[in-house]
Amino acid sequence: MASDNLSLIERRVRRKYEWARARRAFWGFTPVLLIVAAAAALAKRPGSTLTFGALMFALGVAALWYGRDVRKAVLPGVALGLIPLVLALCANHMHHVCMGDACMSVCLPACTAGGLVAGIGMAIVGQRQRLGVGYWLAASAITLLTGAMGCSCVGYAGVLGLAAGFGVGLLPALARKLLR
Amino acid sequence: MSSDQSSNLDELVARLAEGDRAAFTAVFHQLWTPVVRLCNSMLRNEADAADAAQQAMEKVLERASDYDPKRPALPWALAIAAWECRTILRKRSRRREVSDDLVADAPTDDQTMEMEQRLLLQNALSAMGELSESDRETLIATFLDQAGDVNGATLRKRRERAVKRLRDAFRRLYGVG
Repeated sequence: MASDNLSLIERRVRRKYEWARARRAFWGFTPVLLIVAAAAALAKRPGSTLTFGALMFALGVAALWYGRDVRKAVLPGVALGLIPLVLALCANHMHHVCMGDACMSVCLPACTAGGLVAGIGMAIVGQRQRLGVGYWLAASAITLLTGAMGCSCVGYAGVLGLAAGFGVGLLPALARKLLR
Repeated sequence: MSSDQSSNLDELVARLAEGDRAAFTAVFHQLWTPVVRLCNSMLRNEADAADAAQQAMEKVLERASDYDPKRPALPWALAIAAWECRTILRKRSRRREVSDDLVADAPTDDQTMEMEQRLLLQNALSAMGELSESDRETLIATFLDQAGDVNGATLRKRRERAVKRLRDAFRRLYGVG
């Protein structure tokens, strides 16, 4: 009876612990909503920016709540994601670049270049931190979602360009990790 | 609790603060007995103490993510638990829910003060552990009034610095002071 009671108390305390972690994660990550709001205000397609922003926010809160290695992925993920985001938002306001008769949107190359730089940055940071797969996956997902808020400027092609650039930037580090 | 158990608890609480749920049950069971004992000694009623201990444990583990691994876990947890028990006592006396029997059984002001002083002393000793050997010697010499051959002005300066560092360490460890 006493041990039943104690395990009941333990379960209740555990719930409180999880809720406290979730609250802390939520409020701790709310400043990121300022970035989402600014990106939505500057983007051509605020709908998709807000969708990617909401996904990034949910993933960041979940990572902070979960803790351990995954929690450490949040800050580098957001910081590296800002590179393609800022590039894409700047490209948004440049409209098109014309060379002779041919004109093209700057958004796609800006997203690919931003993704490439973010991928290289992720590889450097990840190798320094020497953390597990969870860290790499969470950091990559947060970086891509942050960047995607700006890269949806030319539809999903921009997001694909970002992902491709990011993959290429990350490739040497992944190859080195797999070959070891 | 032995120093081995205590350092094991420090490690477990630090793991829990990082989000390692595997440490939860061990932390809960290691803290439960000291927290119940503390609440018992403060509230002097087994049933109330069990309720208070439960609330105290909720508060302690809600704040587990704030735990600083440089601090010893047990005094940190007991300080939160003691605060919780004091809050319960205060609330009860304010609402006048305490029966006459309980009022008679409840610790007197002197007993509460003694318990608080004991807890404060325990916390102060933990804070002393953070200081350098010379700071500790200065404070102990001051306490025992054994200044030795050090002249007045030098001792006063040394004492001021040691007390300041003790206050900083106390504030760092317990967030008050």
